Amino acid sequence: MLKKFSQIALLLILILALFAFNWKSSGTLSTYSNSRFLEDKLADVSVSYALDMMNEERPLHYIMNVSDDSARMGEELVKFGKLKDGSTSRISKYFLCTDCHNQQLETDDPADESPERVLEYSKKNNIPFLPASTFYGMFNKEHWYNGDYAKKYGDLVKPTRDTLFNAIQLCATQCSQGREMEDWEIRSVMHYYKSIELKVCDLKFNSREYGEFTAYMSSNNKKAVELLKSKYNQINDAHFGTSEIPKIEGYEPSAENGEFIYKQGCLHCHAVGRNITNFDLDDTKLTHKFLLAKKNKYNSFSVSHITRYGTYAISGRKQYMPMYSFENMSDEQMLDLMFYIEKKATE
Amino acid sequence: MKRLILVLTAVIFSSGLIAQNKINETFAGTRVINNHSSEMLPKQSLEFIVAHKFGDIAGAAGGLSNFYGFDNLADVRIAFEYGIIDNLDIGLGRCKGVGARTQLLDGFAKYSILQQKDTGMPISLTFVSSVVLPYASASTDSTSVTSYPKFLNRFIFTNQLLVTKKFGERISIQVNAGYNHRNFVDFTDKNGLFFAGASGRFRFTKTLGILFEYNHVFGRPAAIVAQDPLSFGFEILTGGHTFALHFSNGRGLNENIFIPGTTSNWLDGQFRFGFSINRRFKL
Repeated sequence: MLKKFSQIALLLILILALFAFNWKSSGTLSTYSNSRFLEDKLADVSVSYALDMMNEERPLHYIMNVSDDSARMGEELVKFGKLKDGSTSRISKYFLCTDCHNQQLETDDPADESPERVLEYSKKNNIPFLPASTFYGMFNKEHWYNGDYAKKYGDLVKPTRDTLFNAIQLCATQCSQGREMEDWEIRSVMHYYKSIELKVCDLKFNSREYGEFTAYMSSNNKKAVELLKSKYNQINDAHFGTSEIPKIEGYEPSAENGEFIYKQGCLHCHAVGRNITNFDLDDTKLTHKFLLAKKNKYNSFSVSHITRYGTYAISGRKQYMPMYSFENMSDEQMLDLMFYIEKKATE
Repeated sequence: MKRLILVLTAVIFSSGLIAQNKINETFAGTRVINNHSSEMLPKQSLEFIVAHKFGDIAGAAGGLSNFYGFDNLADVRIAFEYGIIDNLDIGLGRCKGVGARTQLLDGFAKYSILQQKDTGMPISLTFVSSVVLPYASASTDSTSVTSYPKFLNRFIFTNQLLVTKKFGERISIQVNAGYNHRNFVDFTDKNGLFFAGASGRFRFTKTLGILFEYNHVFGRPAAIVAQDPLSFGFEILTGGHTFALHFSNGRGLNENIFIPGTTSNWLDGQFRFGFSINRRFKL
């Protein structure tokens, strides 16, 4: 009797162990516990962790846990171009990552990174209005240097389009005209990106969608992933404009927007004393009169020309200015900027 | 005296108590025309300067026969200046030289003591110390100023204080005072000379401006035929490069030479065209 009982018990234990193994390997939890967990904790869960819970394929740059030391070093490389202890040389003598990239959310809805939305959010939170994508959530992107970036960098963009590691290296060597980053440096930057990745609470769900999402998480991973990914932008895209001053019938430019773009965009690099560019600007009438006088020229002093084309690195002058693509500045915003310059020049 | 020190200390340290913005771009470059300006190079920036001065435009040595001075070269200077920190620049240059003193190596150190701010600090105050070493072979004529009995006789030093103020967006004025010392001079001359000067800039636009620069030397011996250097210039900023075109009676391009040693007279047509090109690099 005892022998039979022990055999049945052993069998039950084996069956339970097998199920337990399956649960673990599939990454899902029981319906009851998972729902409870999601509802209570979901807000703080990172997007990559949520995707991992739903068995989504991990990207090449996937990092399970942030290493605090690596993230700190990555942050130093981003903000100072080198480690603060002086053990590394500056990645670029011309630029820091922070000259072109923010490190905080730029929009209240990561699914909508349109320049209008970004400007509205930036004005509310006093965030620089920059020509490149924010690093916040960069870890959650899947494709980089898409669209017209190929016009500027040619085939160099091909290996970057699905590999964040390569995208960082291209940015270091081409965009900032700096040295090649070492593997550990890029890994450190990745850890920093991981530390500022999107959280589920950053995404904009309505209550119905949120309910569906939590339900899908325990019943239909594919749909949960689909819903989650619809809530943030996975592609860094760019479409370049021309130097032509936009004409938008009926549009009344906003001096307030223009002032914000000038001060938080143009002056972010061109302000006197910043020592980033070769041509300093300020908010004086003299400067605005100069910019107004040059507005129709086909050269780097023309606001629409330099904003849409930027400058290119050439032999003997490696430092250059990145352009604002339509993804980072709309035609309406260009008119706002030019309206502000004209207003200040003529007031 | 104690009260003066207290007032100066209060002025200097009160600048940190309220939010203040530095007044920048008082001058376009580190020189007004040929003399130093209070403008400093940003830390780890290198400025490359090429400057030329041609022959007399008018007067006995000028006119069409030497194409208004373009056929003659008064002086040429190539120099590098470097910002060690935001407040301290050093520089090294080489001039052709003027008159008896030729083949000159020059160097300087410039320190920004005070920086004009929108509130609290009305002026910029800068100290410049410069030296020139003529390295041409010593003359065998023992009466010549280039006979240099000792190596130290070759040196010429200039120390000066620059007080600068920018008025609004367009006008900048600089007053300078200093002491020049030539270790070896003619027996009728004086080794040490005090001088003072003024210079300024008026900007027509963001990138175009006019400049002037004048220095007066005090207590020069009556036997010495000399003139005060006076220059007028026109500057063009292109973003990265600064071009300055000027007319001056001074033949030299270094303050150690043109302040004590200018002999040309504007009124005799002995003025010349010159230019300088400055290019800034980040290191």
